[in-house]
Amino acid sequence: MTVLLRAVRVARRFGSVAALAPTDVDLASGEIVALVGPNGAGKSTLLAVLAGALEPSEGTIDAQVRVGWVPQRPAHYARLSARENLELFARFEGVRDPAAAAGGLLERFSLPTEPRPSGELSVGNRQRLNVALSLLAEPRVLLLDEPTAALDPGQRRRVWDVVGALRDEGGAVCFATQNLEELEHADRVLVLLDGHVVDATPEEVFR
Amino acid sequence: MLVRKDLTVLRRSPLLLGALLAYPVVIALLVGLVAGYASSKPRVAFVDEDDVPPVVDIAGHSFHVQTIIDQVARNVTLVRMDAAEASCELASGKVVATITVPQGFVDALETTSESPSLVLRTGTGAVAPRVTEQVQALVYQLNRKLQNVFITANLRFVRLLLQGGGGSFLGHSFTVIGLGRTEQLLAGMPRSKRVQAIEHFVADAKVGLAQTGTALQATAHPIELRQPKANGRSWVLSAQVQSYGIALTVTFLALLLAAGATAAERDEGTVARLRRGLLSAWRLVAAKTALAAVVGVVLGLAIAIVFGIVVEAGGVAGGEPWVRLPLLVVGVALGAAAVGAAGVALGAVAREGRTASLLAVLVVLPVVFLGLVPRGAFAFAWWLSELLPFAHAVRFISAALYDASPWRTLGIETLWLVGIGAVLAGLARLSMRTLSA
Repeated sequence: MTVLLRAVRVARRFGSVAALAPTDVDLASGEIVALVGPNGAGKSTLLAVLAGALEPSEGTIDAQVRVGWVPQRPAHYARLSARENLELFARFEGVRDPAAAAGGLLERFSLPTEPRPSGELSVGNRQRLNVALSLLAEPRVLLLDEPTAALDPGQRRRVWDVVGALRDEGGAVCFATQNLEELEHADRVLVLLDGHVVDATPEEVFR
Repeated sequence: MLVRKDLTVLRRSPLLLGALLAYPVVIALLVGLVAGYASSKPRVAFVDEDDVPPVVDIAGHSFHVQTIIDQVARNVTLVRMDAAEASCELASGKVVATITVPQGFVDALETTSESPSLVLRTGTGAVAPRVTEQVQALVYQLNRKLQNVFITANLRFVRLLLQGGGGSFLGHSFTVIGLGRTEQLLAGMPRSKRVQAIEHFVADAKVGLAQTGTALQATAHPIELRQPKANGRSWVLSAQVQSYGIALTVTFLALLLAAGATAAERDEGTVARLRRGLLSAWRLVAAKTALAAVVGVVLGLAIAIVFGIVVEAGGVAGGEPWVRLPLLVVGVALGAAAVGAAGVALGAVAREGRTASLLAVLVVLPVVFLGLVPRGAFAFAWWLSELLPFAHAVRFISAALYDASPWRTLGIETLWLVGIGAVLAGLARLSMRTLSA
């Protein structure tokens, strides 16, 4: 299997606090990796570092393909509509036809098309917009931070469909979760505890 | 793209947009009011305890007192009232000064036996020094006119001594034979050494007295101040007020807007998305700085235009030089951009919208007050203000609007603003690490 994203001894400190100890991660083509651990374990930090949203304090990251990132908290402009957010970020991503890309994702995620500020959307719609934004550049690696936390069962299924489709197309997915039932979607599980990858089962760290 | 997004967001924030639209109008109206007050005539009480007639006869010359009063009234509004009322109005601030003509003023003037006095009382307001200067100028003008009258009267006496004839002084009439007639009388007398000595004295006295007129004029005005009229704009208080008004507004809003817009990127979580290779830290700083500059220019222009309309409608002196508006745009853009860069740094450090707004308000006040410190008052504060954009923006705007030859000042202040802006942009770039962490 081809490694699409490789992180070597990546670590992140916030002042004197070590949020993530030096960690090695490989994401290979055609696999889904689950990242589990209790609150404050370092899951969001690791995903943000892998996504390039946070500079690592040490270590290196080598990504051969485009990487999409779904942060834990929806990240979009509240005063712009869903379409405007998608079109704006499509332009930032260098997408050739931002309007078409935005239209496609609006339809795929059943997002409201009226010019209503996205800050006024429901929590579920905002989270779906958050996921849609990460797919604008058609990434081969997708990093999702608790993507289904605010979604109803139907919407969750849609997210897992997206994840499954990407794996089937040869991409790689890494998602963080605290919901052990979601591990059924994963091919591999990484367990994080206090910023370290530990050799334990998910059940053991949540006990 | 990010600037356009920020402007769209601004347009969709009705409260903020309303405040931004109302702000320049309110500031311009206030500036117009202050400028109007600054160039309006101060109200001065005129207490005439001597019932001064319109024309006074001094040494045989008619002296038009009313004309002099009219001259003063060009600079101040003279209101006739009695002493008690004047005192009351001065105490309450309704008049800024009282000028009293005491009893016996005209008698003293007519007899020329002693110098008559005018009594000036001023309040403690800011206009009092201006009134004092104007009354001092009035007394100076009066003295000059009186000197001419007295010199003319004295020269009449000199002519009497030379030619002989009748005259009067302090109500007493007299007749003198004069030096010319004396010379004739001496010629008819038997020659002797005494007569010859008197003839020499008379001849010398005639020559000496003939020069008296020139000598009197010269001693009355040893040095005369002439003020040739210069072309160009006048530096009036209204111009200063307008420059400070625009610079203050732009500084305040540019700092607040840039700090708020930068912190909002973190509040909404979008900075992390952008910093994933979509937008460099420099471009983010540039976008927020440009936002501050664009809004600053719009607001600065709005203030200038509303101010111009207000002063033209009110006939205020030192009004709006419309042809200089393009220069104003350059100054406001440079000032707003430099302040905006500081705002970006603040917003990045604050990391949260409300904290950024509070921090911006706390920072902008000392920056503005430092800019108001004169060089001689407190050197350290003045030098500190030189390192901040506000003082340079004020000087640029002042020169752009009101200097007859502004180019040197504009060049220097442009360099200052660009330099300070570059340093602040560098600081903003450094603080971006904090924002995306």
